[in-house]
Amino acid sequence: MSAALSVNPFLRLWSGYLRLVARRPALGQILPFVPLVALWAGVVEAGLFPRAFFPGPVDVVRSFVDLTWKGILPAYLEDSVVRLAVGAAAGILTGIPLGLLVGLNATAHRALWPILLFFQAIGDIAWLPLLIIWFGFGLETMTFVIVYTVLFPIVLNTVLGVRSIPLDMHRAAQSLGAPKWRIVAEVVIPGALPNIITGLRNGLGYGWRALIAAEMIVGTSGVGFMMFDARRAGSVVEILLGMIILGLLWYAVDALILAPLERATGRRWGLVAQ
Amino acid sequence: MKSLSIRNLSKTYFDPYAGKHVTAVQDVSIEVPEGEFVSIVGPSGCGKTTILNMVAGFLPVSGGEIVVDGRAVSGPGPDRGVVFQSHALFPWKTVLENVAFGPKMRGVGPKEREAIARDYLALAGLSHAADRYPNELSGGMQQRVGVVRALANEPAVLLMDEPFASVDAQTRMTLQEELTRIWQERRPTIIFITHDVPEAVFLANRVVVLSKGRVLEEVEIDLPRPRSWETLIEDERFKTLSSRVLQLVRSA
Ligand SMILES: Nc1ncnc2c1ncn2[C@@H]1O[C@H](COP(=O)(O)OP(=O)(O)O)[C@@H](O)[C@H]1O
Ligand SMILES: [Mg+2]
Repeated sequence: MSAALSVNPFLRLWSGYLRLVARRPALGQILPFVPLVALWAGVVEAGLFPRAFFPGPVDVVRSFVDLTWKGILPAYLEDSVVRLAVGAAAGILTGIPLGLLVGLNATAHRALWPILLFFQAIGDIAWLPLLIIWFGFGLETMTFVIVYTVLFPIVLNTVLGVRSIPLDMHRAAQSLGAPKWRIVAEVVIPGALPNIITGLRNGLGYGWRALIAAEMIVGTSGVGFMMFDARRAGSVVEILLGMIILGLLWYAVDALILAPLERATGRRWGLVAQ
Repeated sequence: MKSLSIRNLSKTYFDPYAGKHVTAVQDVSIEVPEGEFVSIVGPSGCGKTTILNMVAGFLPVSGGEIVVDGRAVSGPGPDRGVVFQSHALFPWKTVLENVAFGPKMRGVGPKEREAIARDYLALAGLSHAADRYPNELSGGMQQRVGVVRALANEPAVLLMDEPFASVDAQTRMTLQEELTRIWQERRPTIIFITHDVPEAVFLANRVVVLSKGRVLEEVEIDLPRPRSWETLIEDERFKTLSSRVLQLVRSA
């Protein structure tokens, strides 16, 4: 055993890494990026490409500090995040009740389900030409795109969640004396919650991408606009900075909102595999 | 706890694949006086679940009537507690919240319903599990909670559809003994459905044998209580009654 380990130092390194990550989970989220960034820096330092065409990590950090200092980046970031938050809130507030209705009511399901499937198939961005004619380049168009993108995954997953609740669960509540509205509050909503959260995860993910795309095309501010504007100025470093910020922001949304929600609901209740 | 009368009950299903009507229950009458424990046995497909679902109010009847505590049944209600084979506990509620659910629906305040729930949990030896979620319990414990949740709402009758069918043999015997003990302590009126003959005989005051949607025969179980497997397994009277019921079921 120990002989085999000493023959293969990579195995020892790997098991050491696994133990470290088990002790400090946060490190497990960061360390995998170390070789990636090192590779990036190495390629840049090798001088294969002109620096302005392919800047390195240090240049991106410098650009980050510079744009933050000038206040441009915080303002754009705030614009994007607020748009996402407002869009998500509107999508949640309409999507969950609509999903409950379609999931619970056979007539509503028959009438609306095909329509929902049809419109969710038309991608958010496919609306842009029409929206630009109707609303022009601006906030209305972006708001429409983001609400639209967040809405459908939430509605469809809520319907799925409502319909996945076993019949016996409804019957148990009924024979314990629960009237209809209380069954909705005590059985249907919590029972559908794991699916609703999945819908929220998908909706926010698609919504975030759609928002950046919309900002590029019709925006006058925001991270997407910043990146597209940098293209006009030929500033590759700002484009890279924008891309990295998009990734980091999603990381934050996942770690601070989605993962805790999932841990507190479906996983806790044993409805979702660990 | 109150009495239950099933009078000339029938049920016809429409089978969309065969395109015709199928009679699952035909002219079944069963009287369950207050505080009695009645088992219904019969081979799979003889209509046991159909009868129970009609009594629970989950299915409309095709003919006849069901009277609980002097009132005709129309739809589910808290006067008939149901224990499901699938336990049907709410996964998002703790054991305590599950058991307190019925009282909560009745409008009992938070303090009082917690006291009721704790009392019933103690009755089934489940006090230590009050704050756990159902998925953290063994199958046997889940079924215990299912029984206690139905009892805590103080229904007129308790309806149980093969509640112990999916737990292991050892646990099943323990659950059966606990159920007879609880029945003796609280004297609920119970209809217990099973295809397991020894289980039916062990638990009940009376066993109703069902065959092809009809009552074949009723057998009085005059075994003394309290009952335990240790004493009954060798008991001559238990053996005689069990083989009698078994022959009826096999002829069904
Ligand atoms: N929803 C249904 N539609 C059509 N036939 C049914 C339905 N439910 C049960 N049946 C039929 O009714 C008969 C009795 O079924 P069931 O009450 O489930 O029997 P048991 O519980 O004794 O096994 C069976 O022949 C079954 O196929
Ligand atoms: Mg059955």
